[in-house]
Amino acid sequence: ERRSGSLQHKSALFASVTGQKQTHCREYWFLSPEEFETWDQLYRIKESDGIQQPTLPPVQFETLENLEEISKPKEEATYELSFSEWRLWQNRPFPTYMVDHSDRCYHFISVMEMIERMRHEQGDCSYEREIRPHLRMEDVHVRRDKRHLSTTSST
Amino acid sequence: MAAAESEERALLAQRLRAAVHYAVCGLCQEVAEDKAVQFSKQSLAAIAELTFRQCETFARDLEMFARHAKRSTITTEDVKLLARRSNSLLKYITQKSEELASSNMEQKEKKKKSSASKGGRMHREEEAAVTESEDSNMA
Repeated sequence: ERRSGSLQHKSALFASVTGQKQTHCREYWFLSPEEFETWDQLYRIKESDGIQQPTLPPVQFETLENLEEISKPKEEATYELSFSEWRLWQNRPFPTYMVDHSDRCYHFISVMEMIERMRHEQGDCSYEREIRPHLRMEDVHVRRDKRHLSTTSST
Repeated sequence: MAAAESEERALLAQRLRAAVHYAVCGLCQEVAEDKAVQFSKQSLAAIAELTFRQCETFARDLEMFARHAKRSTITTEDVKLLARRSNSLLKYITQKSEELASSNMEQKEKKKKSSASKGGRMHREEEAAVTESEDSNMA
């Protein structure tokens, strides 16, 4: 079938990048006719594939005027890649290959872990209980505003 | 001695966490009123912890940005770089920074004039006014 020769093709594609024979193609930014053919046959998503174009979710700021949204009309059905669909998997580091997890990534994992721990808490919050004794009023900007600290009851 | 030091650091971290948590609760209260929703205590705690940890990322980046420009003092330019990935955010931060810069200039001008005419007592009050307006910009 179409995809059965993929391994061979892949190595052919690789060779065209590293091999000497086709190095003249690398003068151009765009694909050579052979490369285009390979891409078209193996990787390009076509209507007949019955899958949707993957897209990344757009950046949006709830609290700011949005500049990035030049909301272009979708001419085709797309599949928006999700960052939250598999959140239950995200309270542990995932395997890495060449690039280690960053500090930022570990922070994310820790907070997901913390959320997991609090998931079944009712009302009173363990985090709040733990840190509240450390609060010094001179560190914070006290608003003359009302019930601020009695904020909410979890429902 | 190392143990005592790390204990002290841990206490400081908790103190800072508590302050961030307090601030987050205040800000979320505003959002809750605005959107007519409620935050569970757990969601407030999670936002607080995220904010606390995000500060570490910010601090490291700011330090590196300043060093990249061969400075050891972090300036507003470094802060703008934190927002570089989003046009909306960058515009917002740039505006705030310009507002701050111009109000600081005004205050300095006033100070010059007043110190020329009056004594030093005036300074304190004006400085307090500046910090006050900075605070309200941050909020």
